[in-house]
Amino acid sequence: MPAEDMGKVSRRLRLWFAISSVIFVVVLAVSPGKDLRREWKRYKRDYVRFAQTRPDTKRLLADFHPDIDQIWIPDMGVVDRCTTCHQGITQPSLAGAAVPQPFRAHPSIPHRVQEWGCVVCHRGQGPATEVAEAHETTLAWEQPILPIHFIQGTCGSCHRNDLAQTPQLNRGRQLSEELNCAGCHRLQGIDRPVMLGPDLTSVGEKVSREWIYKWLKEPRTIVDAEGNVTVNGVETEEEPRMPKFSLSEPELRALSAYLSMQRVKPLQSVKFDPRVVAAWSKKPDLVDQGELRFRQMFCSTCHALAVTRAGETKLVGGDIGPELTKVGSKVKPEWLAAWLRDPQAYLAHSKMPRYGWSDEDLFKVTQYIAAKLTDSDLLSDVPKLGTPTDDEIKLGRRLFLEKGCAGCHLIEGMGSQKDFGPDLSGLGGKNVSQLEFGTSKIPRNLISYIQAKITDPLSVNPAARMPQYHLTPGDLDAVTTALLAMTGTSAKSGMEKLIVPKHQPEFHAVGEFGKIYERYKCYVCHEFNGFGGTLAPDLSYEGSRANRQWLIQFLKNPQTLRPTLVLRMPQFNMSDREAGVIADYFGMVLQYPEVNTSAVERSEFTPQMAALGKELYEVKYQCQACHTVDATGGYVGPSLSDAGNWLTPAWIEAWLRDPQALVPGTIEPRRAFTDSEVKALTAYLLTLRGVAARGAAGSGAGAGGQK
Amino acid sequence: MTPRFLILALLAATSAGLTGCGKKSAVAAPDPLRNAYDSEVDWNDPQRVIPLGYEAAQGKRVFYQYCVWCHADSTPAGPSNRSNLNPQPPLLNDGTVLNSESDDSLQNMIALGGSAVGKSAMMPAYGKTLSQEDVRSVIAYARAIAVPPYQPPAQPAAKNTVR
Repeated sequence: MPAEDMGKVSRRLRLWFAISSVIFVVVLAVSPGKDLRREWKRYKRDYVRFAQTRPDTKRLLADFHPDIDQIWIPDMGVVDRCTTCHQGITQPSLAGAAVPQPFRAHPSIPHRVQEWGCVVCHRGQGPATEVAEAHETTLAWEQPILPIHFIQGTCGSCHRNDLAQTPQLNRGRQLSEELNCAGCHRLQGIDRPVMLGPDLTSVGEKVSREWIYKWLKEPRTIVDAEGNVTVNGVETEEEPRMPKFSLSEPELRALSAYLSMQRVKPLQSVKFDPRVVAAWSKKPDLVDQGELRFRQMFCSTCHALAVTRAGETKLVGGDIGPELTKVGSKVKPEWLAAWLRDPQAYLAHSKMPRYGWSDEDLFKVTQYIAAKLTDSDLLSDVPKLGTPTDDEIKLGRRLFLEKGCAGCHLIEGMGSQKDFGPDLSGLGGKNVSQLEFGTSKIPRNLISYIQAKITDPLSVNPAARMPQYHLTPGDLDAVTTALLAMTGTSAKSGMEKLIVPKHQPEFHAVGEFGKIYERYKCYVCHEFNGFGGTLAPDLSYEGSRANRQWLIQFLKNPQTLRPTLVLRMPQFNMSDREAGVIADYFGMVLQYPEVNTSAVERSEFTPQMAALGKELYEVKYQCQACHTVDATGGYVGPSLSDAGNWLTPAWIEAWLRDPQALVPGTIEPRRAFTDSEVKALTAYLLTLRGVAARGAAGSGAGAGGQK
Repeated sequence: MTPRFLILALLAATSAGLTGCGKKSAVAAPDPLRNAYDSEVDWNDPQRVIPLGYEAAQGKRVFYQYCVWCHADSTPAGPSNRSNLNPQPPLLNDGTVLNSESDDSLQNMIALGGSAVGKSAMMPAYGKTLSQEDVRSVIAYARAIAVPPYQPPAQPAAKNTVR
């Protein structure tokens, strides 16, 4: 290159250099200016201006810094700068909707905002300093803020136990269990139970091939697109357990063929006493008598039936066992009798108690079920299926596996398909980029994804094997909340330390009582030391509460203490020996440590004390607002008409002093009784000994007390 | 050619940086129920769903455990005890009765019982059973579901209540 040319080029270069230098200086000058205009600084300035309009300016600005505020929780790996803009969050005087955001105070919650920051519960991006990046999903920041409606999900990430404050989360967890999600998916905090769907090892003994066909095509519980649930055509609040699989005609034929051949345990037919059958078969009111017995035994406490009253058909009864409106058209009559006599012989994990049936009662009730709980149209649209062919059975077995049926159902010679579906134990912590939305048009966020997967799995993945669940909007949100809580195992070791584990109490009784406890399945309805059902009273301290004689009478012939209840304790037809064993066990084991039943003698209560107690009961404290004595009083608490026979004096005293100590969460309020008031009320209650004994009211000392 | 592109790129970056400051977040209008901790169907109008904040939601829970039996016409366990009582206790959403009572007076009524405030002794004292927070939350719930709606007292009065 010639020298003069070089000079030319360098002149041009110099010009470019000069221009770019000017631009560089401009850019350098712009950046501090830009920094001054940062979004968060605007909120800082606005807050100062806002605070000056408030009467307590000084207090509102006491902790004010013009810089970024930050809460750092190293154990959880949380850096939280939300308080940079949300500056009034801990100021009590800024509570209420009248205060503009972002300065409003946080409502009072069990966690202190200063310690926990915001993102631990609300999610969002803690370190972000711009509104959009902190709150929403952007390219670089992927965790948006949870809508408040789903915020209980984050409570559940640490609190694996159920909290009173999180009803939606608790409901979601309960539903995930009831809907058998754990059949196919691995879930966090929800273990696989022993039994999910019914054991099908001998289902061929129980139902016909035609019935299986019908059930698979159209399960008894049907949910329409609006989420209305009908069981056998009757609307209900119940959740469907068996989801609907869309099966083709050959698939229905094959599966029904395969299942109807499952007969591992041959049926042990009940041999009725021929004299009973001969005597009862001729009676014109056989079916009516059977129905009466069915009602007297309170089968409805666990099983619902469609009942028509005043032109309106409703399902009436409990939901512990299956609904039975059409069961007579479902099961084979000989199976029904064998099942009622010994349910566990067919299904070892059944919750159904083994009743002490007389031949007469069993005959009457089976006749009633077979005659009345039927629907002649139930199988009318099922084609003639005939005897299963080998090809159908083979195809049926293959389909059973392909559809993942063994996730929930047991079949002889087939392993459980417990991980058939994807692992969901970390779903709640997933970023949007980790989710596969397919071609669906739903908003790109985790909540929409979860809800689409549950309500219409094919919309996000055309190859999905998941059956369709129709849930009510509230239940769908509850399940979503429970799934949001499943954030997997955290990489931060400090996080694991914060987790409150699920409390899983168990109560196994041994010996004679243990056998009875298992036979009558007491724990399905009653709670024992935190284990068991919540339908019926907690019996953990029953031995301190009830007198032995009263207990025995109650077990032999259960009478409700709460006249308005529809669901009642069934009549088990217990023997005297069994009732005695239960009462002895309660008296020895189910005791409240602070209630000493032998320390309070009935003889210490005088008629004068009882008279004062009556005055306190009726006038000063007006207990009749909630309790009945004879026919007068309220229905909130139990009837006290027989309190003197029912309750031990020591229990009454302890209860009056602090009911919540004995039964946490009981409605009975704790009052400020003086010692003499406690004694007087106890004396009065001990005089209440059934209607017949009312004449002796005030006699005080009685002989009914045991121990 | 290349340097000219460089300048253009620099200019573009600068202007982008400058305009970036004024960027506003596009937050969609929030659905009141999606931003509520819980909700309750208006007792008088089943079509209307009332959003509840955290405090009122806790009040709803306490109410359905302890109070519903006498202060509502239907209960989770069936018929209510309300019609059984004389004088009949007010429904919790009855604004015509409760709106005129201050938070403090309701707090006393619940904590100390009816007889302590000159009302029926059938209303027991819950001050030793429920925490102060529980009682406040029930009041917040009552305010949220009140028909006619509850209007909080004007600003000066609000300052006196300790929160």
